[in-house]
Amino acid sequence: MKKATRYLISIVILLAMLVSFIGCTTEEEPTQSKGSIPSGEELLQPMERLRVATTTSLYDTGLWGYLEPIFEERYGTELDVLYAGTGIALEYGRRGDVDVITVHSKSREEQFIAEGYGVERIPFAYNYFLIVGPESDPAGIKEMTPEDAFKKLADTGTGSFISRGDDSGTHGKEKAIWKGAGYDYEAIRQAEEWYIEAGRGMGPTLLMASEKQAYTLCDMGTFLAYKGKIDLVPIVDKGSILLNVYSAIACNPEKNPKVKYEMANNLVNFLTSPEIQKLIGNYGTKQYGVPLFIPCAGAEPQS
Amino acid sequence: MTELWQGLIKAIQLIVTFDPEVMEIAGRSLAIAATSCSIASLMCLPLGSLIHFSRFAGKRLLINLLQTLYSVPTVAIGLFVFVLFSRAGPIGGLGLVFTPIAIVIGQALLVTPIILGLTISALSGVDKAVTETAISLGASRFQAIILTIKEVRYAILTAVIMGFGRAISEVGISLMVGGNIKGFTRTITTAISLETSKGDIELSIALGIILILLAMIINFALNRLQQR
Amino acid sequence: MSLIETINLGQQFDRRYVLKEINLKIDKGEVFALIGPTGAGKTTLLRLLDLLEISSSGTVYFDGVDVTRSQRHRLEARRRMSFVQQKPIVFTMSVYDNIACGLRWRHEKDQTIRQKVESVLELVDMAPYSSRNAKTLSGGETQRVAIARALIAEPEVLFLDEPTANLDPASTAKVEEILAHIIREQKTTVVMATHDMSQGQRIASRIGVLMSGEILQVGTPNEIFCLPSTKEVAEFIGVENILNGIVIEKDANLATIEVNSSIIQAISDYAVGDRVYVIIRPEDITFTLAKDTSSARNVFKGKITRTTPVGPLVRIEVDCGFPLLGVVTKKSAEELELSIGKEVYTSFKATAIHTIKRWNQ
Repeated sequence: MKKATRYLISIVILLAMLVSFIGCTTEEEPTQSKGSIPSGEELLQPMERLRVATTTSLYDTGLWGYLEPIFEERYGTELDVLYAGTGIALEYGRRGDVDVITVHSKSREEQFIAEGYGVERIPFAYNYFLIVGPESDPAGIKEMTPEDAFKKLADTGTGSFISRGDDSGTHGKEKAIWKGAGYDYEAIRQAEEWYIEAGRGMGPTLLMASEKQAYTLCDMGTFLAYKGKIDLVPIVDKGSILLNVYSAIACNPEKNPKVKYEMANNLVNFLTSPEIQKLIGNYGTKQYGVPLFIPCAGAEPQS
Repeated sequence: MTELWQGLIKAIQLIVTFDPEVMEIAGRSLAIAATSCSIASLMCLPLGSLIHFSRFAGKRLLINLLQTLYSVPTVAIGLFVFVLFSRAGPIGGLGLVFTPIAIVIGQALLVTPIILGLTISALSGVDKAVTETAISLGASRFQAIILTIKEVRYAILTAVIMGFGRAISEVGISLMVGGNIKGFTRTITTAISLETSKGDIELSIALGIILILLAMIINFALNRLQQR
Repeated sequence: MSLIETINLGQQFDRRYVLKEINLKIDKGEVFALIGPTGAGKTTLLRLLDLLEISSSGTVYFDGVDVTRSQRHRLEARRRMSFVQQKPIVFTMSVYDNIACGLRWRHEKDQTIRQKVESVLELVDMAPYSSRNAKTLSGGETQRVAIARALIAEPEVLFLDEPTANLDPASTAKVEEILAHIIREQKTTVVMATHDMSQGQRIASRIGVLMSGEILQVGTPNEIFCLPSTKEVAEFIGVENILNGIVIEKDANLATIEVNSSIIQAISDYAVGDRVYVIIRPEDITFTLAKDTSSARNVFKGKITRTTPVGPLVRIEVDCGFPLLGVVTKKSAEELELSIGKEVYTSFKATAIHTIKRWNQ
């Protein structure tokens, strides 16, 4: 009899696990076209899933969390959002492991398309980068141009700078500014302790900068979203180089036949549709007082 | 200290209110670890018996190799599985990357050396006379092997528990291969890593406490099973 | 026809002969004790008889069938025999399950199993231990479970390898009692290895003496005890008066033997000129203070060299021109005031002497 109860308990535990496994692969709000329990086929071969690799600033601001359920309900598909960083996102796109990428590095996006991995580059929102830092502004770079500010940081070495260091769009912009200021980026990397490479997403980098009371380059959206958590203020916010354009690129099915091209296009169209553009433009106003993004419906914004 | 205290309060809060997101990722962590452990155990028990009871050249070498794999870094396995299952990779056709199945496979690979190695260790601890006695009492070779395994069931269950512990607490594989997708492949460990990097330390601590509690409850239940 | 017969059975191990030219016949229903010192090869011989191992030379017959090499025949024969090891292995399960194992492996019905297990537990007096974890039993209890486990298969032959070697006297007595009971009830053929001569005497109907891999003597306990065939056997069974002598006269079956410079008269089959060992059991020596004029042909005067009390008895060592060991009760020793240095007369009958051929100088 003891044996029987033991077997019973193990079976109950196993069943409970199985149930939770099945139950956990569903979203909280099931879409209209599916029941809340996915079929076995869906568990093994998730056919109705679209994957988008996104730059971290779009994620850390919560924009994707906001738009995801709307898209899922409208198109009856599961949206998998991967928190990546432009560099990784592009790599995933090349491998065909994602169907869409949303990034913000124009030159690399164009190369991606030139190599044939992406079909078309569709800008859908923009904002500006800022150099943020401690209120005390130890390096005294307030109100300078981005290039001059960087020059002063490099020359005097007062005040630390936290770099994304992760090949992201923001990191790319930072490198562009160093170039504009006349510095060889590799030389900067070898510099003394004032230059720190974080290797993390935008939100986490801001937190690190706040912790260390250092400067960092940040997009406006993430900065506003994190304002309450950090002890930094905008130091430099003017300069044409600071334009930050977010684009969506559907991956090319010719390179990767497994890509869900049709649904990918749906997502791109979704992002540039008037209704969603309006939502993007309003995103954050209630919480932060200012909008985090400016919609630009497919057209390249001028600075 | 206040952070820890706040984390503890948050943990209690999340548990008591059955916070749906926490329940979901907790359930997922459990389910994935349990599945990968079960798969590994089902394979390792017969395989371990086979290795132990056979004689072949390089047996010692194989066992040593297994033991060195006990502490293989999870990110290494994660990377390996990712490259394998990426659509651009050799088994890409299955489209398994960024799915829970891929995490299960990765974790199964992770715990197999542990469960296999410890199973063989356990069997080695059995007096050879046990198998002999069984056979002299009329058992077939197969029946004698089953008996020997039963003699060390305590030690084998310990191996499984160790494997489970390693599986449920790993981050490297879940992150690399699962992608930490909310609602699909997010586990407690990947959620902790995300929340920490986003700065929500309180939530991370809470999740950490919940993970420890979960592991303790499972261990406790399994230990009760052991003590017959 | 014997149940088990071996012809020139031998076993080698690493080029060393563990067993040499063993010729044995075990009859159905008998209790055969294999006695010998540790390391003599008893376990090896038992395992060969139980067909657990294959011999390197010689033949084994079971119930008239040659089972030396044929795998199939061996298996069939082995099924009819059971073996209880010196240190039996019990499995980590209840006593009941341990005993039921064999039957379960043979896919017998639960009902049948229950009956058989319960009855065999009664036989070994372990019924109250049925649900105990077998690993928690004492040595004696484990031995009884092992015996039960062996008996449940209703074997025709039961092999026991030194069943009480590791037990205390009380457990030994219990196990012997159970064995005796089983032998009476079941009439199983029993082959038992033991290094305890007296155990062999108590339980066996026939004894085989195995020393250094060879069978030196086979016979009834009495024969072995009183008429050991070689010096080695005699020493093993505990005879301590072994004297070197040579036959100098023979008259019918009465031999006159010269031992050192003394003359001993004994009933013997040996001829004049034969070198012999003169074997006298300590119990057969009588001590007197005056010259004994009884029928004993052999009377010697000597001086006591040592007295050793052993329980209720006292061993008396005397020098009569040759060393002699006798044993008396404590009472007698006190009455005769036997002490070191005392002069006594030792006497023993010619019929009490056993002679064995001697090969050395």
